[in-house]
Amino acid sequence: MSQIYPIGGGKGGVGKSFITASLGALLAKWGKKVVLIDLDLGGSNLHTLLGINDQQGGINRFLDKTVNNLENTAVSTNIQNLFFISSSLCSMEVANLTHAHKLKIINAIRKLSFDYILLDLGTGTNFNTLDFFLTSKQGIFICTPEPTAIENSFRFIKVVYLRKLKQIVKQHSFISAVKKATVSPNNIAIKSPDIIEIVLKYDPDSESFLRNRLSEFKFKFILNQFRKNLDATIGYKIEDLCNRHFYSNFQFLGNVGYDVRIHDSVLSKKIFVHRYPYTPPAIDMEKIAEKIINNRPSVSLSGEIS
Amino acid sequence: MKKFDGLNYYEILKIPTNSLSFEIKRAYRDALSIYDDDSPVTYSLFSNEERDNILKTIKEAFLTLIDEHKRAAYDTILTDSGQVDLSITSMINQKKPVPFYTGNMTNIDNFAERVRKKPREKEVEKLLNETLSKDSISGDALRKLREAFEVEISEINAITRISVSVIKSMEENRIENLPPDLYLKNFLKLYAETLQIDPQRIIDGYLKNISLAQKE
Repeated sequence: MSQIYPIGGGKGGVGKSFITASLGALLAKWGKKVVLIDLDLGGSNLHTLLGINDQQGGINRFLDKTVNNLENTAVSTNIQNLFFISSSLCSMEVANLTHAHKLKIINAIRKLSFDYILLDLGTGTNFNTLDFFLTSKQGIFICTPEPTAIENSFRFIKVVYLRKLKQIVKQHSFISAVKKATVSPNNIAIKSPDIIEIVLKYDPDSESFLRNRLSEFKFKFILNQFRKNLDATIGYKIEDLCNRHFYSNFQFLGNVGYDVRIHDSVLSKKIFVHRYPYTPPAIDMEKIAEKIINNRPSVSLSGEIS
Repeated sequence: MKKFDGLNYYEILKIPTNSLSFEIKRAYRDALSIYDDDSPVTYSLFSNEERDNILKTIKEAFLTLIDEHKRAAYDTILTDSGQVDLSITSMINQKKPVPFYTGNMTNIDNFAERVRKKPREKEVEKLLNETLSKDSISGDALRKLREAFEVEISEINAITRISVSVIKSMEENRIENLPPDLYLKNFLKLYAETLQIDPQRIIDGYLKNISLAQKE
Protein backbone atom coordinates (compact mmCIF):
# COMPACT_ATOMS: atom_id res chain seq x y z
CA MET A 1 0.00 0.00 0.00
CA SER A 2 1.22 3.50 -0.75
CA GLN A 3 2.50 5.59 2.06
CA ILE A 4 1.47 9.20 1.87
CA TYR A 5 3.66 11.85 3.47
CA PRO A 6 2.28 15.38 3.27
CA ILE A 7 5.11 17.87 3.80
CA GLY A 8 3.99 21.17 5.26
CA GLY A 9 4.68 23.70 7.99
CA GLY A 10 3.32 27.15 8.45
CA LYS A 11 6.18 29.35 7.39
CA GLY A 12 7.39 30.09 3.89
CA GLY A 13 10.98 29.66 2.80
CA VAL A 14 11.80 26.97 5.34
CA GLY A 15 12.57 24.46 2.60
CA LYS A 16 9.43 22.37 2.16
CA SER A 17 9.91 21.92 -1.58
CA PHE A 18 13.65 21.44 -1.20
CA ILE A 19 13.18 18.68 1.38
CA THR A 20 10.41 17.07 -0.69
CA ALA A 21 12.64 16.90 -3.76
CA SER A 22 15.62 15.63 -1.78
CA LEU A 23 13.72 13.01 0.18
CA GLY A 24 12.01 11.85 -2.99
CA ALA A 25 15.35 11.43 -4.75
CA LEU A 26 16.82 9.54 -1.78
CA LEU A 27 13.84 7.20 -1.39
CA ALA A 28 14.00 6.50 -5.13
CA LYS A 29 17.69 5.72 -4.78
CA TRP A 30 16.75 3.01 -2.30
CA GLY A 31 14.74 1.41 -5.05
CA LYS A 32 11.34 2.68 -3.95
CA LYS A 33 8.81 3.90 -6.46
CA VAL A 34 8.16 7.49 -5.46
CA VAL A 35 5.88 10.22 -6.72
CA LEU A 36 6.15 13.87 -5.73
CA ILE A 37 3.01 15.94 -6.05
CA ASP A 38 3.23 19.70 -6.08
CA LEU A 39 0.21 20.79 -4.05
CA ASP A 40 1.43 24.31 -3.47
CA LEU A 41 -1.42 25.34 -5.71
CA GLY A 42 -0.87 28.78 -7.13
CA GLY A 43 2.73 28.79 -5.90
CA SER A 44 4.13 25.74 -7.62
CA ASN A 45 7.84 25.47 -8.12
CA LEU A 46 8.77 21.92 -7.29
CA HIS A 47 9.24 21.27 -11.02
CA THR A 48 12.01 23.86 -11.11
CA LEU A 49 13.84 22.24 -8.22
CA LEU A 50 13.61 18.96 -10.10
CA GLY A 51 14.91 20.55 -13.28
CA ILE A 52 11.72 19.83 -15.19
CA ASN A 53 10.51 22.27 -17.79
CA ASP A 54 6.83 21.68 -17.31
CA GLN A 55 5.00 22.01 -20.63
CA GLN A 56 2.16 19.53 -20.34
CA GLY A 57 0.95 20.09 -16.78
CA GLY A 58 -0.41 17.55 -14.37
CA ILE A 59 -3.19 18.28 -11.94
CA ASN A 60 -4.76 20.75 -14.36
CA ARG A 61 -5.33 17.94 -16.89
CA PHE A 62 -6.89 15.83 -14.17
CA LEU A 63 -9.18 18.63 -13.01
CA ASP A 64 -10.35 19.55 -16.52
CA LYS A 65 -10.95 15.85 -17.22
CA THR A 66 -8.48 15.60 -20.12
CA VAL A 67 -7.01 12.75 -18.10
CA ASN A 68 -9.24 10.53 -15.99
CA ASN A 69 -6.66 8.89 -13.86
CA LEU A 70 -4.31 11.10 -11.81
CA GLU A 71 -1.65 8.43 -12.12
CA ASN A 72 -1.41 9.10 -15.86
CA THR A 73 -0.38 12.69 -15.26
CA ALA A 74 2.78 11.57 -13.46
CA VAL A 75 5.89 12.24 -15.51
CA SER A 76 9.23 10.54 -15.04
CA THR A 77 12.19 12.60 -13.87
CA ASN A 78 15.85 12.14 -14.68
CA ILE A 79 16.04 9.95 -11.60
CA GLN A 80 14.99 6.36 -11.89
CA ASN A 81 11.88 5.45 -9.87
CA LEU A 82 11.10 9.09 -9.17
CA PHE A 83 7.91 10.50 -10.69
CA PHE A 84 6.34 13.89 -10.51
CA ILE A 85 2.88 15.39 -10.78
CA SER A 86 2.96 19.08 -11.49
CA SER A 87 0.49 21.83 -10.75
CA SER A 88 2.33 24.64 -12.45
CA LEU A 89 -0.06 24.85 -15.37
CA CYS A 90 -3.23 24.97 -13.29
CA SER A 91 -5.46 28.00 -13.67
CA MET A 92 -4.20 31.25 -12.21
CA GLU A 93 -6.94 31.08 -9.60
CA VAL A 94 -6.28 27.50 -8.54
CA ALA A 95 -5.22 28.60 -5.06
CA ASN A 96 -8.93 28.96 -4.33
CA LEU A 97 -9.79 25.40 -5.13
CA THR A 98 -13.43 24.39 -4.92
CA HIS A 99 -14.37 21.89 -2.27
CA ALA A 100 -15.38 19.32 -4.89
CA HIS A 101 -12.08 19.64 -6.72
CA LYS A 102 -10.18 19.32 -3.49
CA LEU A 103 -11.99 16.09 -2.60
CA LYS A 104 -11.41 14.82 -6.11
CA ILE A 105 -7.67 15.37 -5.77
CA ILE A 106 -7.49 13.86 -2.28
CA ASN A 107 -9.40 10.76 -3.29
CA ALA A 108 -7.27 10.35 -6.40
CA ILE A 109 -4.07 10.66 -4.34
CA ARG A 110 -5.25 7.91 -2.03
CA LYS A 111 -5.76 5.63 -5.01
CA LEU A 112 -2.29 6.13 -6.51
CA SER A 113 -0.08 3.08 -6.39
CA PHE A 114 3.45 4.05 -5.50
CA ASP A 115 5.62 3.05 -2.57
CA TYR A 116 5.84 6.62 -1.38
CA ILE A 117 3.73 9.64 -2.21
CA LEU A 118 5.20 12.94 -1.06
CA LEU A 119 2.94 15.98 -1.11
CA ASP A 120 4.65 19.34 -1.28
CA LEU A 121 2.28 21.79 0.41
CA GLY A 122 2.08 25.55 0.39
CA THR A 123 2.70 28.11 3.09
CA GLY A 124 0.08 29.22 5.54
CA THR A 125 -2.92 27.57 7.05
CA ASN A 126 -5.70 27.80 4.50
CA PHE A 127 -8.25 24.98 4.30
CA ASN A 128 -6.77 23.41 1.16
CA THR A 129 -3.34 23.10 2.73
CA LEU A 130 -4.81 21.73 5.95
CA ASP A 131 -6.94 19.15 4.17
CA PHE A 132 -4.07 18.00 2.00
CA PHE A 133 -2.01 17.71 5.15
CA LEU A 134 -4.73 15.58 6.71
CA THR A 135 -4.75 13.23 3.70
CA SER A 136 -2.59 11.00 5.82
CA LYS A 137 -1.96 10.54 9.52
CA GLN A 138 1.76 10.96 9.20
CA GLY A 139 2.30 14.51 8.02
CA ILE A 140 5.80 15.96 8.17
CA PHE A 141 6.36 19.54 9.38
CA ILE A 142 9.36 21.40 8.10
CA CYS A 143 10.63 24.06 10.42
CA THR A 144 13.81 26.02 10.94
CA PRO A 145 15.30 26.54 14.39
CA GLU A 146 14.16 30.15 14.58
CA PRO A 147 11.46 31.57 16.83
CA THR A 148 9.44 32.79 13.85
CA ALA A 149 9.40 29.40 12.16
CA ILE A 150 8.76 27.55 15.39
CA GLU A 151 5.90 29.91 16.16
CA ASN A 152 4.34 29.28 12.76
CA SER A 153 4.79 25.54 13.14
CA PHE A 154 2.95 25.54 16.42
CA ARG A 155 0.19 27.56 14.86
CA PHE A 156 0.09 25.13 11.97
CA ILE A 157 -0.15 22.17 14.34
CA LYS A 158 -2.91 23.84 16.31
CA VAL A 159 -4.88 24.70 13.20
CA VAL A 160 -4.45 21.19 11.77
CA TYR A 161 -5.77 19.94 15.07
CA LEU A 162 -8.72 22.24 15.03
CA ARG A 163 -9.54 21.22 11.47
CA LYS A 164 -9.35 17.54 12.39
CA LEU A 165 -11.39 18.03 15.53
CA LYS A 166 -14.07 19.78 13.56
CA GLN A 167 -14.18 16.89 11.12
CA ILE A 168 -14.48 14.38 13.92
CA VAL A 169 -17.10 16.36 15.77
CA LYS A 170 -19.12 16.84 12.59
CA GLN A 171 -19.11 13.18 11.66
CA HIS A 172 -19.71 11.53 14.99
CA SER A 173 -22.32 11.87 17.62
CA PHE A 174 -21.36 14.44 20.12
CA ILE A 175 -23.67 16.36 22.35
CA SER A 176 -24.97 19.41 20.54
CA ALA A 177 -23.23 21.80 22.92
CA VAL A 178 -19.91 20.43 21.73
CA LYS A 179 -20.89 20.77 18.11
CA LYS A 180 -21.95 24.30 18.72
CA ALA A 181 -18.77 25.17 20.57
CA THR A 182 -16.46 23.71 17.95
CA VAL A 183 -18.24 24.31 14.73
CA SER A 184 -19.82 27.72 15.10
CA PRO A 185 -17.35 30.30 13.83
CA ASN A 186 -18.08 33.04 16.32
CA ASN A 187 -17.26 31.00 19.35
CA ILE A 188 -14.13 31.62 21.37
CA ALA A 189 -13.34 27.96 20.93
CA ILE A 190 -12.09 28.79 17.47
CA LYS A 191 -9.27 30.78 18.98
CA SER A 192 -8.37 28.11 21.44
CA PRO A 193 -7.37 24.69 20.17
CA ASP A 194 -8.43 23.20 23.41
CA ILE A 195 -11.53 21.42 22.28
CA ILE A 196 -10.73 18.36 24.34
CA GLU A 197 -11.48 20.46 27.37
CA ILE A 198 -14.77 21.57 25.92
CA VAL A 199 -15.68 17.99 25.14
CA LEU A 200 -14.69 17.00 28.64
CA LYS A 201 -16.94 19.65 30.05
CA TYR A 202 -20.04 18.94 28.00
CA ASP A 203 -19.65 15.37 26.87
CA PRO A 204 -17.29 13.38 29.08
CA ASP A 205 -18.41 10.06 27.58
CA SER A 206 -16.91 10.94 24.23
CA GLU A 207 -13.60 12.02 25.63
CA SER A 208 -11.75 8.74 25.26
CA PHE A 209 -13.13 8.32 21.74
CA LEU A 210 -11.76 11.71 20.80
CA ARG A 211 -8.44 11.04 22.46
CA ASN A 212 -8.10 7.77 20.58
CA ARG A 213 -8.84 9.42 17.30
CA LEU A 214 -6.24 12.10 17.91
CA SER A 215 -3.64 9.64 19.13
CA GLU A 216 -3.77 7.93 15.72
CA PHE A 217 -1.76 10.80 14.32
CA LYS A 218 1.97 10.24 14.10
CA PHE A 219 3.27 13.64 13.09
CA LYS A 220 6.90 14.04 12.16
CA PHE A 221 9.10 17.06 11.86
CA ILE A 222 12.44 18.13 10.48
CA LEU A 223 14.55 21.14 11.47
CA ASN A 224 16.02 22.56 8.30
CA GLN A 225 18.79 25.15 7.80
CA PHE A 226 20.36 24.06 11.03
CA ARG A 227 23.53 25.99 11.82
CA LYS A 228 26.36 24.60 13.84
CA ASN A 229 26.30 27.00 16.76
CA LEU A 230 22.80 25.99 17.84
CA ASP A 231 21.69 23.68 20.58
CA ALA A 232 21.54 20.34 18.75
CA THR A 233 18.95 18.96 21.14
CA ILE A 234 16.36 21.61 20.35
CA GLY A 235 14.52 19.20 18.03
CA TYR A 236 14.21 16.62 20.77
CA LYS A 237 13.01 19.31 23.14
CA ILE A 238 10.26 20.23 20.70
CA GLU A 239 9.38 16.57 20.20
CA ASP A 240 9.16 16.07 23.91
CA LEU A 241 7.11 19.20 24.39
CA CYS A 242 4.63 18.32 21.64
CA ASN A 243 4.20 14.80 22.95
CA ARG A 244 3.46 16.23 26.36
CA HIS A 245 1.10 18.99 25.41
CA PHE A 246 -0.68 17.77 22.32
CA TYR A 247 -2.74 14.62 22.13
CA SER A 248 -0.90 12.94 19.26
CA ASN A 249 2.44 11.36 18.65
CA PHE A 250 5.33 13.50 17.40
CA GLN A 251 8.60 12.22 16.02
CA PHE A 252 11.66 14.35 15.39
CA LEU A 253 13.30 13.03 12.23
CA GLY A 254 16.48 15.08 12.47
CA ASN A 255 18.28 18.30 11.66
CA VAL A 256 19.30 19.18 8.15
CA GLY A 257 22.42 21.32 8.13
CA TYR A 258 22.66 24.70 6.48
CA ASP A 259 24.90 24.79 3.43
CA VAL A 260 25.55 27.57 0.93
CA ARG A 261 25.78 24.99 -1.84
CA ILE A 262 22.06 24.39 -1.51
CA HIS A 263 21.63 27.78 -3.09
CA ASP A 264 23.92 26.75 -5.95
CA SER A 265 21.91 23.63 -6.61
CA VAL A 266 18.68 25.63 -6.75
CA LEU A 267 20.28 28.06 -9.21
CA SER A 268 21.49 25.25 -11.42
CA LYS A 269 18.10 23.48 -11.17
CA LYS A 270 19.73 20.25 -10.02
CA ILE A 271 18.65 18.08 -7.13
CA PHE A 272 21.01 18.88 -4.28
CA VAL A 273 21.51 15.35 -2.97
CA HIS A 274 22.61 14.31 -6.44
CA ARG A 275 24.91 17.17 -7.10
CA TYR A 276 26.54 17.21 -3.66
CA PRO A 277 25.92 13.74 -2.22
CA TYR A 278 28.64 13.90 0.43
CA THR A 279 27.81 17.23 2.01
CA PRO A 280 26.43 17.41 5.56
CA PRO A 281 22.85 18.29 4.50
CA ALA A 282 22.79 15.39 2.03
CA ILE A 283 23.99 12.99 4.71
CA ASP A 284 21.46 14.40 7.18
CA MET A 285 18.69 13.79 4.68
CA GLU A 286 19.91 10.32 3.94
CA LYS A 287 19.48 9.49 7.61
CA ILE A 288 15.99 10.93 7.55
CA ALA A 289 15.08 8.90 4.45
CA GLU A 290 16.32 5.82 6.23
CA LYS A 291 14.12 6.59 9.22
CA ILE A 292 11.12 7.01 6.95
CA ILE A 293 11.79 3.68 5.23
CA ASN A 294 12.08 1.96 8.59
CA ASN A 295 8.84 3.48 9.82
CA ARG A 296 6.18 0.84 9.81
CA PRO A 297 2.91 2.67 9.94
CA SER A 298 0.32 0.71 11.85
CA VAL A 299 -2.50 3.06 10.96
CA SER A 300 -4.74 2.46 8.02
CA LEU A 301 -5.10 5.32 5.62
CA SER A 302 -8.68 4.65 4.78
CA GLY A 303 -9.97 7.21 7.21
CA GLU A 304 -12.79 9.59 6.58
CA ILE A 305 -12.53 12.41 4.13
CA SER A 306 -13.76 15.89 4.82
CA MET B 1 -3.36 21.75 25.11
CA LYS B 2 -2.55 19.17 27.73
CA LYS B 3 -1.11 20.49 30.97
CA PHE B 4 0.41 18.47 33.74
CA ASP B 5 -2.93 17.07 34.87
CA GLY B 6 -2.61 13.74 36.55
CA LEU B 7 1.17 13.76 36.50
CA ASN B 8 3.10 13.43 39.72
CA TYR B 9 6.16 15.54 40.49
CA TYR B 10 8.54 12.88 39.23
CA GLU B 11 6.70 12.65 35.95
CA ILE B 12 6.62 16.41 35.59
CA LEU B 13 10.40 16.60 35.92
CA LYS B 14 10.74 13.36 33.95
CA ILE B 15 12.94 11.60 36.42
CA PRO B 16 12.74 8.16 38.02
CA THR B 17 11.43 8.04 41.56
CA ASN B 18 14.83 7.11 42.93
CA SER B 19 16.62 10.15 41.50
CA LEU B 20 19.42 11.70 43.47
CA SER B 21 19.38 15.38 44.22
CA PHE B 22 21.80 16.33 41.45
CA GLU B 23 19.55 14.58 38.96
CA ILE B 24 16.59 16.50 40.28
CA LYS B 25 18.50 19.74 39.89
CA ARG B 26 19.53 18.88 36.39
CA ALA B 27 15.97 17.95 35.47
CA TYR B 28 14.77 21.24 36.92
CA ARG B 29 17.29 23.21 34.88
CA ASP B 30 16.28 21.30 31.76
CA ALA B 31 12.62 21.98 32.40
CA LEU B 32 13.31 25.68 32.90
CA SER B 33 15.27 25.81 29.67
CA ILE B 34 12.19 24.53 27.88
CA TYR B 35 9.45 26.47 29.65
CA ASP B 36 11.12 29.80 30.44
CA ASP B 37 9.60 32.74 28.65
CA ASP B 38 12.76 33.37 26.64
CA SER B 39 12.97 29.77 25.45
CA PRO B 40 12.74 29.77 21.65
CA VAL B 41 10.94 26.45 21.88
CA THR B 42 7.88 27.53 23.81
CA TYR B 43 7.66 31.27 23.78
CA SER B 44 4.98 31.08 21.11
CA LEU B 45 3.20 27.98 22.37
CA PHE B 46 1.72 29.13 25.65
CA SER B 47 -0.14 32.17 26.83
CA ASN B 48 1.48 34.01 29.73
CA GLU B 49 -1.06 32.58 32.10
CA GLU B 50 -0.45 29.02 30.92
CA ARG B 51 3.28 29.51 31.17
CA ASP B 52 3.08 30.97 34.67
CA ASN B 53 1.04 28.01 35.83
CA ILE B 54 3.42 25.53 34.24
CA LEU B 55 6.47 27.21 35.75
CA LYS B 56 4.77 27.36 39.11
CA THR B 57 4.05 23.63 39.00
CA ILE B 58 7.60 22.81 37.94
CA LYS B 59 9.01 24.93 40.74
CA GLU B 60 6.70 23.32 43.24
CA ALA B 61 7.80 19.89 42.03
CA PHE B 62 11.44 20.86 42.36
CA LEU B 63 11.14 22.42 45.79
CA THR B 64 9.29 19.38 47.09
CA LEU B 65 11.63 16.76 45.69
CA ILE B 66 14.84 18.57 46.56
CA ASP B 67 13.88 18.84 50.21
CA GLU B 68 14.46 15.50 51.93
CA HIS B 69 11.61 15.87 54.39
CA LYS B 70 9.07 17.21 51.96
CA ARG B 71 10.05 14.52 49.49
CA ALA B 72 9.58 11.77 52.06
CA ALA B 73 6.13 13.10 52.91
CA TYR B 74 5.26 13.36 49.23
CA ASP B 75 6.51 9.82 48.55
CA THR B 76 4.27 8.55 51.32
CA ILE B 77 1.26 10.18 49.69
CA LEU B 78 2.15 8.69 46.32
CA THR B 79 2.67 5.22 47.76
CA ASP B 80 -0.51 5.36 49.78
CA SER B 81 -2.56 6.38 46.79
CA GLY B 82 -1.03 3.44 44.94
CA GLN B 83 0.37 5.65 42.18
CA VAL B 84 3.89 4.35 42.45
CA ASP B 85 5.69 1.61 44.22
CA LEU B 86 8.40 3.36 46.13
CA SER B 87 9.65 0.37 48.07
CA ILE B 88 12.78 0.33 45.92
CA THR B 89 13.13 4.06 46.24
CA SER B 90 13.53 4.14 49.97
CA MET B 91 16.38 1.68 49.73
CA ILE B 92 18.23 3.62 47.10
CA ASN B 93 17.59 6.87 48.87
CA GLN B 94 19.84 5.65 51.62
CA LYS B 95 22.71 6.10 49.24
CA LYS B 96 23.39 9.70 50.10
CA PRO B 97 24.71 12.11 47.50
CA VAL B 98 27.88 14.10 48.03
CA PRO B 99 27.11 16.45 50.92
CA PHE B 100 28.51 19.69 49.47
CA TYR B 101 26.43 19.54 46.39
CA THR B 102 23.09 19.47 48.14
CA GLY B 103 23.99 22.87 49.56
CA ASN B 104 21.14 25.02 50.65
CA MET B 105 19.47 25.21 47.31
CA THR B 106 16.02 25.28 48.76
CA ASN B 107 16.73 28.65 50.24
CA ILE B 108 18.02 30.05 47.02
CA ASP B 109 15.19 32.56 46.77
CA ASN B 110 15.70 33.80 50.26
CA PHE B 111 19.42 33.73 49.77
CA ALA B 112 19.62 36.74 47.49
CA GLU B 113 17.27 38.63 49.75
CA ARG B 114 19.28 37.71 52.82
CA VAL B 115 22.55 38.87 51.27
CA ARG B 116 20.99 42.07 49.99
CA LYS B 117 19.86 43.10 53.46
CA LYS B 118 23.20 42.40 55.09
CA PRO B 119 25.00 45.69 54.37
CA ARG B 120 22.25 47.45 56.31
CA GLU B 121 23.81 46.07 59.45
CA LYS B 122 26.32 48.59 60.76
CA GLU B 123 29.26 46.25 61.26
CA VAL B 124 28.85 44.57 57.93
CA GLU B 125 28.61 47.92 56.22
CA LYS B 126 31.76 49.11 57.94
CA LEU B 127 33.72 46.01 57.00
CA LEU B 128 32.48 46.18 53.43
CA ASN B 129 33.50 49.82 53.01
CA GLU B 130 36.85 49.19 54.64
CA THR B 131 37.61 46.27 52.37
CA LEU B 132 36.50 47.95 49.19
CA SER B 133 38.36 51.16 49.92
CA LYS B 134 41.66 49.29 50.08
CA ASP B 135 43.86 49.05 47.04
CA SER B 136 44.54 45.36 47.42
CA ILE B 137 42.12 42.74 48.71
CA SER B 138 43.48 39.56 50.22
CA GLY B 139 41.83 36.16 50.33
CA ASP B 140 41.51 36.61 54.03
CA ALA B 141 39.54 39.80 53.45
CA LEU B 142 37.24 37.88 51.13
CA ARG B 143 36.67 35.25 53.76
CA LYS B 144 35.90 37.85 56.42
CA LEU B 145 33.43 39.51 54.10
CA ARG B 146 31.78 36.22 53.35
CA GLU B 147 31.54 35.36 57.02
CA ALA B 148 30.13 38.78 57.80
CA PHE B 149 27.44 38.09 55.21
CA GLU B 150 26.87 34.75 56.93
CA VAL B 151 27.33 32.85 53.70
CA GLU B 152 28.77 29.33 53.70
CA ILE B 153 31.35 28.10 51.21
CA SER B 154 28.89 25.38 50.27
CA GLU B 155 26.33 28.02 49.35
CA ILE B 156 28.76 29.82 47.07
CA ASN B 157 29.55 26.46 45.57
CA ALA B 158 25.89 25.63 45.09
CA ILE B 159 25.15 28.91 43.37
CA THR B 160 28.29 29.56 41.34
CA ARG B 161 29.44 25.96 40.87
CA ILE B 162 32.98 27.04 41.66
CA SER B 163 34.51 24.02 43.32
CA VAL B 164 34.99 24.14 47.05
CA SER B 165 38.74 23.61 46.78
CA VAL B 166 39.10 26.61 44.49
CA ILE B 167 37.06 28.81 46.81
CA LYS B 168 39.26 27.73 49.69
CA SER B 169 42.43 28.37 47.69
CA MET B 170 41.15 31.83 46.89
CA GLU B 171 40.35 32.62 50.49
CA GLU B 172 43.59 31.18 51.80
CA ASN B 173 45.74 33.01 49.26
CA ARG B 174 47.26 29.76 48.02
CA ILE B 175 48.51 31.31 44.84
CA GLU B 176 50.10 28.14 43.50
CA ASN B 177 46.69 26.43 43.57
CA LEU B 178 44.78 29.19 41.84
CA PRO B 179 43.45 28.68 38.31
CA PRO B 180 44.83 30.73 35.38
CA ASP B 181 43.95 34.44 35.47
CA LEU B 182 41.20 34.18 32.90
CA TYR B 183 39.29 31.69 35.05
CA LEU B 184 40.27 33.32 38.29
CA LYS B 185 38.76 36.63 37.18
CA ASN B 186 35.51 34.97 36.33
CA PHE B 187 35.47 33.07 39.63
CA LEU B 188 36.10 36.30 41.52
CA LYS B 189 33.32 37.94 39.58
CA LEU B 190 30.88 35.15 40.47
CA TYR B 191 32.02 35.21 44.08
CA ALA B 192 31.47 38.96 44.27
CA GLU B 193 28.12 38.73 42.56
CA THR B 194 26.98 36.12 45.03
CA LEU B 195 27.72 38.57 47.81
CA GLN B 196 26.23 41.36 45.70
CA ILE B 197 29.29 43.55 45.79
CA ASP B 198 31.03 45.30 42.91
CA PRO B 199 32.85 42.52 40.97
CA GLN B 200 35.36 44.85 39.32
CA ARG B 201 36.59 46.17 42.68
CA ILE B 202 37.07 42.61 43.95
CA ILE B 203 38.86 41.44 40.80
CA ASP B 204 41.20 44.45 40.74
CA GLY B 205 41.89 44.29 44.45
CA TYR B 206 42.50 40.57 44.51
CA LEU B 207 44.81 40.54 41.48
CA LYS B 208 46.71 43.47 42.96
CA ASN B 209 47.15 41.50 46.17
CA ILE B 210 48.52 38.53 44.24
CA SER B 211 51.02 40.57 42.30
CA LEU B 212 52.19 42.22 45.55
CA ALA B 213 52.61 38.81 47.15
CA GLN B 214 54.54 37.50 44.16
CA LYS B 215 56.99 40.41 44.28
CA GLU B 216 57.98 39.65 47.82
